[in-house]
Amino acid sequence: MAPTIIILGLFVLLPILIALVLAFYKIQILGEFTYRFNGFKNFTRLLNDDRVWIALRNTVEYVAIVVPIQTIIALGLALILNANLKGKNWFRIIFFMPTVTSSAVLTIIFLWMYNSNGLINSVLAFLGLPTYNWIGDPNVALKAITIMNIWSTAPLFMVIYLAALQDIPESLYEAAAIDGASWWDKLFYITLPSLKSVTFFVVVMGIVGTFQLFDQSYIFSRGTGGPDNSTLTVVLLIYQYAFKSLDMGYAAAIALILALAIAITTLMQRYFFSEKAN
Amino acid sequence: MFRKVWLFLILFLVGTIAFTGCMTAQQLAQPGVVTITLSGWSNLNEKQLLQKVLRDFEVKHPRIKVKYDAIADEYMDVMKTRLIGETAADVFYLEAFAAPEIMLPGVLEPLNSYISEKFNLADFYPQFLQAFQQEQIIYGLPKDYSTLALFYNKKAFESVGLSQPPQTWEQLREYAKKLTVDRDRDGRVDQYGFALVPELARQVFIIQAFGGKLIDTNGNVAFAEPESLKGLQLLVDLYRLDRSAAQPSDVGTNSAGEMFGQEKVAMAIDGPWLIPYLKETFPQLEYATAEVPTINQKKGTMAYTVAYVMNQKSKHKAAAWELISYLTGQEGMQAWTSQGSVFPTRKSVTDALQSDRNPLYSPFTAGAEYATIWQLNEDLPIILNNFNNQFVSAIIGQQSLASAMKKAQKTANKEIALSK
Repeated sequence: MAPTIIILGLFVLLPILIALVLAFYKIQILGEFTYRFNGFKNFTRLLNDDRVWIALRNTVEYVAIVVPIQTIIALGLALILNANLKGKNWFRIIFFMPTVTSSAVLTIIFLWMYNSNGLINSVLAFLGLPTYNWIGDPNVALKAITIMNIWSTAPLFMVIYLAALQDIPESLYEAAAIDGASWWDKLFYITLPSLKSVTFFVVVMGIVGTFQLFDQSYIFSRGTGGPDNSTLTVVLLIYQYAFKSLDMGYAAAIALILALAIAITTLMQRYFFSEKAN
Repeated sequence: MFRKVWLFLILFLVGTIAFTGCMTAQQLAQPGVVTITLSGWSNLNEKQLLQKVLRDFEVKHPRIKVKYDAIADEYMDVMKTRLIGETAADVFYLEAFAAPEIMLPGVLEPLNSYISEKFNLADFYPQFLQAFQQEQIIYGLPKDYSTLALFYNKKAFESVGLSQPPQTWEQLREYAKKLTVDRDRDGRVDQYGFALVPELARQVFIIQAFGGKLIDTNGNVAFAEPESLKGLQLLVDLYRLDRSAAQPSDVGTNSAGEMFGQEKVAMAIDGPWLIPYLKETFPQLEYATAEVPTINQKKGTMAYTVAYVMNQKSKHKAAAWELISYLTGQEGMQAWTSQGSVFPTRKSVTDALQSDRNPLYSPFTAGAEYATIWQLNEDLPIILNNFNNQFVSAIIGQQSLASAMKKAQKTANKEIALSK
């Protein structure tokens, strides 16, 4: 027991406490270490900082697109794999591949494909669809990251769904079949209700993960959040303030706002899901 | 099962002890010899040259060993983090751009007391020396500098009947129109006239060409003033009005140099670092360099300089100074700059190397006379970020240049005030 508490305290609680304290200070860490109590200045600064709002808007937009789509795709893939397909082990491996690859490597591969003369534009042009300057155009840069991320995280949740699907007793389906239920009836009255708790887990993990989008937009924009702040996310902004401007106090204040945003969305989710259960 | 776990644990422990043992053994040096570290960034070519210069240094200073540690990416962020954690190298590179935010009390060792008469400080070009000074305190000695010049594709020029590089911006604009061609007539331009890099680091001299400034005398951002806009408008016109310029991402490249090498543009304003790159990657390319065309009858270009600085927390300051004074002294600087992709900051070395320089390089050295050094104050990161963000949207026509720059200026001023 004691070692657990020490480790948790050292690596989980202490950093949270330090971040809480830092958010109220102005700190100079390079050279001579100085700090001064700043009251709520970091938070009032935050209200006036346009980039914080842009980052928050980008992040929320991203979460709102990615989470539903990746959940549906994950469920769809899991349903496909749960059916008795020929060579389903191969499909499992293929579908799971994107999750195993490091996201930095994935981003670099996608950067190649998103290139104005790259694979994706060539395919679009071949199909007679409009092509985009995926990396350079502020209107589509975030969408490019969105597509990439859905593609790479959906399989992880697929595996979780798959495990849950295999836990649903076969006898339920048999009983339903005897009562004359169609495939859709089985899906809506047996499969989906049984998956509810897993769906809650998937959505919450999806929200927490997407709110923390950093590496893709960092590599995509070389750390700038460009073009025109279109790929600036909250975590990238925290990174910029903490390690580029070395303004730890302000960065901690933004981090607290992010934590608050995640906590609120999660609580809303929980309320929403438990409401339906009753 | 348990046996496997034990086996793993034992192997892990043995491995850890063995490998960390190796590390400490490596660090144990002979008595009387100090090892100092030097941090920098570099490409392969430069690294080999620097290692050669360092070997010469070690031969002449047998009691000092130099460990060279190249930081591959995000140099300044890594360096700052190491300085805070007190694990930074004894001697490291510092770009003029980042100097104001690093020249804080307690970070860099002032070099005034080390510099002797023999070191001949007066030999340095004063404009580069100044970049690393604050109130008479010298924090770094400039190791080299580079400037921007115009690269032009000779074949592309010939094919439209041009033989000389443009002398003025008006000429450049005309040439760029002529050089923008759609060879296969598929509606997509195959070669643009000019490579546009919409970053502040490349444009300060254009802002200054009509009397504009980055900041006014009170330290407020001023790049949205009419004089500044006049210069920037030239670039917007090239891109929006004439459609004779392209950004790197428009043609699927990462840099102006790559565009120029792949012959997607016929002209680019870029630095001497491009010359070895072109030689290696595009050896067939026929190109030449010229001074940046005059804007408003004024010559102008950008200069970038880098210094060697000493960590105030260094444990071997005397040895660190030996290294700095060798590398920035006549002998070391001559060896370092002899290959040509960077230029010496000492007059004597410039004179010594002048005769055997490739003509490709002379526009760059000529530019040093009138170049604007890429440096401002500790607010530059904020200013630069806001400029780059909005300038791109003006270039692609989301908003007018004036409104984009006003927005950038307002946001930057607000952020600067809030960060104090």
